[in-house]
Amino acid sequence: MAGLDHLLGALTPLNVLFALFGVVVGTVVGSIPGLTATMAVAVLVPLTFTMEPASALILMGAIYTGAIYGGAYSAILLNTPGTPSSIATTFDGYPMARRGDGDLAITVACLASVIGGLVGAFFLLTLAPPLSRVALAFGPVEYFWLAIFGLSLIAALSEGSLFKGLAGGALGLLLSCVGVAAVSADVRLTFGSQTLIGGIQIVAALIGLYCIPVLVDLVATPDRHLHLEETPRGYRLKEALAIALREKVNLIRSSVIGTIVGILPGAGGSVASLVAYSEARRASRHGQQYGRGEPGGIIATESSNNATVGGGFIPTMVLGIPGTPTDAVILGALLVQGIRTGPKLFTSQGAIVYTFIWGLVIATILMLPTGLLLGRYAYRTIVTIPKAVLVPTVAFMTVIGTYAIRNSESDVVIMIILGVIGWIVSRFGFAVSPIVLGLILGPIAEQGFVQAWTIGSAVGDLPGMFFGRPISLGIIAFTILSLLYPFLKTWLAARGSQPVPLGEGRPEQRVRGRPDWATAFVALVLAGIGGVALLDARTYGDPDSAAFPVTVAIVLVAMSLIVALRAAIGWGTPPAADRGSVPRRVALPVVMLLCAGLMAMFGFVPAMLVMFMALLAVAMHDPWTPRRAGLFVAAGVVIVIGFYALFRYGLMVPLPGSFLL
Amino acid sequence: MKLPNVASGTRALLAAAILTLGGIGGAAAFPDKPVEYIIPFGPGGESDIAARLQQPYFKKMFGQDLVISYKEGGGGAVGWAQLNGLNADGHTIMGINLPHIVIQPAEKDVGYKTDDMVPVYWFQYTPDAIVVPAGSEFKTLQDLIAYAKENPGRVTFSGSGKGTANHLAQVRFDKLAGIKTTYVPFGGTGPATAAVLGNQVSASWGYTTVGAAQGDQVRMLAVAMEERHPLFPDVPTFKELGFDMTGGALRGIAVPKGVAEEKRKAWSDMIAKINKDEGFRKQMLDGGFALIDVPYGEMQAFMQKQKDDYISAAKEAGILK
Repeated sequence: MAGLDHLLGALTPLNVLFALFGVVVGTVVGSIPGLTATMAVAVLVPLTFTMEPASALILMGAIYTGAIYGGAYSAILLNTPGTPSSIATTFDGYPMARRGDGDLAITVACLASVIGGLVGAFFLLTLAPPLSRVALAFGPVEYFWLAIFGLSLIAALSEGSLFKGLAGGALGLLLSCVGVAAVSADVRLTFGSQTLIGGIQIVAALIGLYCIPVLVDLVATPDRHLHLEETPRGYRLKEALAIALREKVNLIRSSVIGTIVGILPGAGGSVASLVAYSEARRASRHGQQYGRGEPGGIIATESSNNATVGGGFIPTMVLGIPGTPTDAVILGALLVQGIRTGPKLFTSQGAIVYTFIWGLVIATILMLPTGLLLGRYAYRTIVTIPKAVLVPTVAFMTVIGTYAIRNSESDVVIMIILGVIGWIVSRFGFAVSPIVLGLILGPIAEQGFVQAWTIGSAVGDLPGMFFGRPISLGIIAFTILSLLYPFLKTWLAARGSQPVPLGEGRPEQRVRGRPDWATAFVALVLAGIGGVALLDARTYGDPDSAAFPVTVAIVLVAMSLIVALRAAIGWGTPPAADRGSVPRRVALPVVMLLCAGLMAMFGFVPAMLVMFMALLAVAMHDPWTPRRAGLFVAAGVVIVIGFYALFRYGLMVPLPGSFLL
Repeated sequence: MKLPNVASGTRALLAAAILTLGGIGGAAAFPDKPVEYIIPFGPGGESDIAARLQQPYFKKMFGQDLVISYKEGGGGAVGWAQLNGLNADGHTIMGINLPHIVIQPAEKDVGYKTDDMVPVYWFQYTPDAIVVPAGSEFKTLQDLIAYAKENPGRVTFSGSGKGTANHLAQVRFDKLAGIKTTYVPFGGTGPATAAVLGNQVSASWGYTTVGAAQGDQVRMLAVAMEERHPLFPDVPTFKELGFDMTGGALRGIAVPKGVAEEKRKAWSDMIAKINKDEGFRKQMLDGGFALIDVPYGEMQAFMQKQKDDYISAAKEAGILK
C-alpha cells in the first residue's frame, strides 16, 4: 500500500500520544454544541509551529475527526447536533434515546464513525490525486442539484404532512437569505436591523431549533429526560456489532458517499450525512422505520460524516483548495510550516503526507476505545443527572456555545427566539428538520442556481446548463428516485397484494375532523412571512438577489395557504394535547432571553449564574431540601465558572466581563 | 521600626528606581498577555493566510502568542461592526480590508462607518490578476480581449463576491479594454479558483496569490501591479500591455477606538517590524502577496485618498449610486 513505510514514522510514541490526545479533545469539543473543530484547531495552531509538520498534522487531524464523532453525543442524547455534521443523527438517534437505547445508539455511532473515518482515510491514502478531480467536475449546477437532492429529504421528514414539511423547508430557505447576499451585495430581509446583517448563523439556528424545544418540553413535566435502566448494560457492543454487520452495505455506501461529498469544497459533513441518510432510507428494507429510531440511520450519518474528514483532505492537499473550514485552518498551518500544497505534494513531501495519513488512521482507530469510554460517560451523565440540574446546564451550554461562534450576543438572542418559533410550529405539526434543511442547503442551492443561470445565459445555453450535464442528470435521477421510491414500493407491494407497510407512501387519512383554527392561524402567519419576503424582494438592486427568495416565498405562501385551508375544513392532523406546566414552559425561554440581555450589562458570569439559578427553580419538580439546594446551587456555580474559565482562557473567547467579575 | 535617615533616603531611591524600571518594563512589556487577532472571515482566505504567516514572527519578536479566531459574516461587516465595542486594552486587534471597509458603509448601513475605524497599519496587498486554467485557449491577454470582442458577454469570470475587489476589477477592465464579459460571484477565492480549475468558467478575476498557490495548473495573463511580481517574472503587468490598471485588495490591522494613542503607535511599530523581517518577506512573496507599509502616522492621509479613489471607482462601475 502507498507509503506503508511511513506507517512506522506515524507510530512513534509522540505521534500516537498526539493522536490520542487529539481524539479525546476533539470528541469533547464536538459534543458541545457551538464548539467546532475549526475553533479548537485554530486555537492550537500556534502550538504546532514548533512541532514536526507530520506530528502537527496528526494532532489537528485527530481533533477534527474526534469532533465530528463527538457531535453525535448531543445529537443522540439531547436532540441537538454538536456540529452541523450530525444533524441527521438526531433523526434516529434521539428517538432511540427516548425509548431507552441511547447507549446502543452511541456505540453504533462510534463503530460507524470509526469505519467511515477509515474508509475516508483509505481513499486519501490511495486515490487522492485522481479523486481530487471530482472537486473540479462539480460546477455550480451540480451543487444546485445536490442541494435539491438534499431538500427532497423533506418529503421523508415531514412527519405526516408533506405540505407542512414543504412550508417549513421554504421557511428555512428564506431564513438562509437573511443578511448580505453572497450572490450580490444586497442586504435582504433584515428590515433595517444591523444585527441581522451577518445573517442567521447556522450553528446558532441549529442549537435554537433543536435544543430549546427539548428544554421547553423537559421543564413542563417531572418525568425523567431519558429512561434509566435498572441494571447497567455496559456498552452493548455485541448488539452494535450485529447491527453494523447487518448494515454493512449501508456502512460502506455511506462511507463512500461521505468521502465523495467531502471532496466537494462547497458541501461538507452536513450535506454528506443528509445524502447518505436519504440513500440509506431509500435502499433499506425497513425504510419506513427511518426517523423513528432505526439504527441504520445512525450508521449512515455517522459513517458518512467521518468519511468527509479524509475526503476533505483530498482537495486541500492536492489542489490547495480546502474542503471544509477546518481543512482551511490546517492548510494555513501547513503554509506557515513552509509546506506548499498542490499536485506535487504527494511526491515532494511524501514523508510528511503519508506519515500524516497513517497518523489519521491511527487516530481513527483510537477513536474506538476512547469514543466508547467517553460515550458511556456522556450517556451516564445525561441519564443520571437530576432534571433540575440538567436543564440549566444544557441551557447554559447553548448560550455559551452560541456566543462563542462569533462573539455575538445577538446570535444568542436569535438562537433563543428561533427555538421558541421552532417549538411553536412543531406543536402544529411543522417539523423542525425541514426548516434546518432549508437553512443549510439554501445558500448552496441559491449560489449554485445564480451562478449556473449566469453562466448558462452567458453561453446562451440554459437548458444545456441545467439538464445537459451528466453528473447533474445523475443527481436529478437520484432525486426523482428517492421521491418516488416509497410510492413505487407501495404500489409494487399492493400489486403483490402484500399488506401495505405503515407510514410512508400511504395517502394521508382523509377523515374530516373539526376545524383546527389554531393550525390555520399558524399557517396564515407563515404565509404572511412569505408575503413580507415578497415585498422585501422588491427593494433589491440586483435582480440576482431576488430570484431565489421570490421563488421560495411563493412556495411558502402557497403551501401555507393549503395547510390553512386543510386545517380550516378539518382535514389536517390536529395538534396533540399538551401535557405539563405551561408557566414553566413559558418561563424557560423568558429567563434565557432576560439573562442574555443582562450579559452585556453585568457581565457573562453574573448573568449566567442568575440564569442557572432561575432555571433550577423552573425545572425543579421535586420538593426542595437543604441538601438538594446546596448541592444543585454548588453544581451551578462550578459549571458556570468552570466553563467560563475554559472558554475565556482555554479557547480565548472574549466573553463579556464586568465590574462584578 | 525606625530606620536612619540615610536608609530611608536609599529606600526612596530604591523605590523610585523600581518604579522607573517597572514603568520602562511595563512599556517594553506591551503586549503583556496573548493577543487576540480576529479575522472577520472564515479560515483559508488571504486575510487568514497572511495572519498565519505573521503569527510565528510575532511570538518570536514580542514574546506573546497571537491567537487567531474567525468571526465570519456579512462579508466582514459582522466583525467590523463589533470592533469598537471590543476590549480596548490593546490586546485585541482585527484584520481589515480595502476596498471592503470603504465600499460596504458607502452602500448601506452595515453597523460601522469607515471613519470610525482605527486602522493602525496596512501591511500587504494581493494584486488583481486574470487567471486561466493551464489548458486555456487564452495564451495572452490579447487572446482573451479578441475573443471577448467577437463574443460579447461570453467570457465568464469567476470571482469572490460582488462589490468586492474582484468584481471592481472586472468592471474596470471591461471598461478599459472596451469589452463585455460576465462576472460570476462565488463564495470566496477557494470556490472561485475551483470553478476556473474545473473549466466551469473561462477565467477568474483573482489575485497573484492564486497563481502562487496553483503553480503550473493555471496561467496568469496579467497582474495589476506597477512592476512585475518577483515570483512571476514572465507575467506582464496590465500597464505594460497598455491598460492603466493597478490595485487589488489591501489588508491591514485595526484596533478598537478606545485603544490609547501610544498603543496604536506600538502596534504600528510591531507590524512594521514583522514586515521588515527577511524571512517573513520571503514567505509572503512566495505566497504571491505584495508587501506595503502604511504606518499609523500616515494613516489619515492614506485613508482619505483610498476613500476618494474607491468611491469614485465604485460609482463609475455602477456598484455605488
